[in-house]
Amino acid sequence: MSRAFHFARLSIIRQPARSALGILGIAAIGALLFDMLLLSRGLVLSFREILDETGYDVRVLATDAPPGTGPQLTGAAALAESLAAIPEVEIALRMRVDDADAQAGSERARRITFVGADPRARSVWNVVSGRDLPAAPDGRAAVVVNRHLAARMKVGVGSILSITRECDSRAAMPALDFTVVGIADFPFDSATESTVAGAIEDADRLCGGEDPDRAEMMLVRSRPEAGAFAAAAAIRAAHPALYVVTNEQLVERFSRLQFSYFRQISTVLATVTLFFGFLLIAVLLTVSVNQRLGEIAALRAVGLSRTRVTAGVLWESVLLVALGGTLALPLGFALSAWLDRILRTLPGIPATMHFFVFEPRALGLYVLLLAAASLFAAAYPMRIVSVLPIAATLRREVVS
Amino acid sequence: MTPAIVEARRVSRVFPMAAAPVTALNDVSLRVDRGEYIGVVGPSGCGKSTLLHVLGCVDVATSGQVLFQDREVGSLTDAERSRLRLREIGFVFQRFFLLPMLTAWENVELPQAEAGASRGERRTRTAELLEYVGLAQRAGHRPSELSGGEMQRVAIARALANRPGLLLADEPTGELDQATGEQIVQLLDRLHADGTAVVVVTHDPAVAARAHRLLRMRDGRIVDESRQ
Repeated sequence: MSRAFHFARLSIIRQPARSALGILGIAAIGALLFDMLLLSRGLVLSFREILDETGYDVRVLATDAPPGTGPQLTGAAALAESLAAIPEVEIALRMRVDDADAQAGSERARRITFVGADPRARSVWNVVSGRDLPAAPDGRAAVVVNRHLAARMKVGVGSILSITRECDSRAAMPALDFTVVGIADFPFDSATESTVAGAIEDADRLCGGEDPDRAEMMLVRSRPEAGAFAAAAAIRAAHPALYVVTNEQLVERFSRLQFSYFRQISTVLATVTLFFGFLLIAVLLTVSVNQRLGEIAALRAVGLSRTRVTAGVLWESVLLVALGGTLALPLGFALSAWLDRILRTLPGIPATMHFFVFEPRALGLYVLLLAAASLFAAAYPMRIVSVLPIAATLRREVVS
Repeated sequence: MTPAIVEARRVSRVFPMAAAPVTALNDVSLRVDRGEYIGVVGPSGCGKSTLLHVLGCVDVATSGQVLFQDREVGSLTDAERSRLRLREIGFVFQRFFLLPMLTAWENVELPQAEAGASRGERRTRTAELLEYVGLAQRAGHRPSELSGGEMQRVAIARALANRPGLLLADEPTGELDQATGEQIVQLLDRLHADGTAVVVVTHDPAVAARAHRLLRMRDGRIVDESRQ
């Protein structure tokens, strides 16, 4: 077997033009295949990572409608206390999300998303400069803003933001002034979204207490010894009317519904790509074998066994695919980074969300698929070699 | 009587064709003894190469028996026939059929490696063979860098790699000019003188004239046999 390998290696090294074309072709196809595998679960993995980074593993909503599209939770403060009292629950955080307008100085007002949360609980955003909301009120109401808003409205830590909200009564409410205490990254912000976070009580005040004590959802962190599923089950038992979902269930649901589009596209493209890879290798090897029928027949006449010459073709296929497949990895990574940048500019896509995410499983599957392609692609040329009639081929070669 | 290296007994080879079957060999019997030098001549299509292929175990007779060192070739498996060719038979082809990606040295070394010779044995034997065919200085050259005569000499060295008792040459000078062909014929003469049985199929009267026994074929039969 090692001689067959050596022979195949020499065949590749000493026919550089043919080998280079084959390897480059496989590399291009391999890069696309690799990217499709990264895409097939990229959104799910990225979504999971964003959810986990918030530090909360269970979500409680009024219905199964996505946050912001369904009814709000009422009596949110009492509900949060009730949830926090459940033994499996460590923390419950109220969260309210409203559209509002913000103005800094004489700049014109801009549309923002106002996130109201309990400042005593761990926030879901990540402060990158300044500080987080104070746990207890200390003078003027405080907010943290995202980087996009800070850059767009030219505000920084210490700036004053005047915020107004359009309330249900359509009454024009006076603007409230907030001090920017920090700049933060918000996990689900898109690149062009302007987000401000303040205390949930301040969110209530923006409408003059018109619809107080409401929340879009409750973020719950389960106790480590209990786990998310036990916490969710306990919450469902205590509040059967509410929609309770763990991060894992949410990911599974998104994977099945919202993200299935990408999974299907990547599956179709990966299959097509793999088929082209198979065709490329098969054609390359078949042409190569057909060009060398005389040599192969001569080798058989000299005494090389059928297994030996067949193994040579298989090794050649494996080597071509291994070299092309390895070269495909850096190409695939570069291509995926480029495509990811393009896709992330789609409106409404969280800036921290990625479409192409590496996981060892994708690499394993990639190796497996390429290995299968190299074996299947080698099957036909191997058969040509295996059933080659030695005498007839030698005769034909001499006559031709 | 010493056993023959190879013996064909009433061998026929029929190729099934769409129009009608073609009988390339028709009831041919031939015995090749050790150290013999046999020439086979005849018009194109008379069955010379087919006879060589059957004697060399690359083709199987449709009927009759081929005994290689008293072993019935028809009863051997493909792998056993391969082993037999590797160790006992040397082939020289009109078109050389050297592997283009291998150097002269590697082409000669290949059958030895296949036969399981050690690295040291291979090195000694390959150097010896290239010296024998006068190409020691061209060992590192690939076929594309060699002339036709040099390629055929490398092919002869390859054929001798595992010290076969029988060398089968199919039109060994067919692609060469007269002067170069003469070098090859002299090499075959030397091989025979060194004890190798040689069967050479040729159209070239000069090559045929060197054989000690000359077979004339027509329509798949040996129609004449003479000792020279």
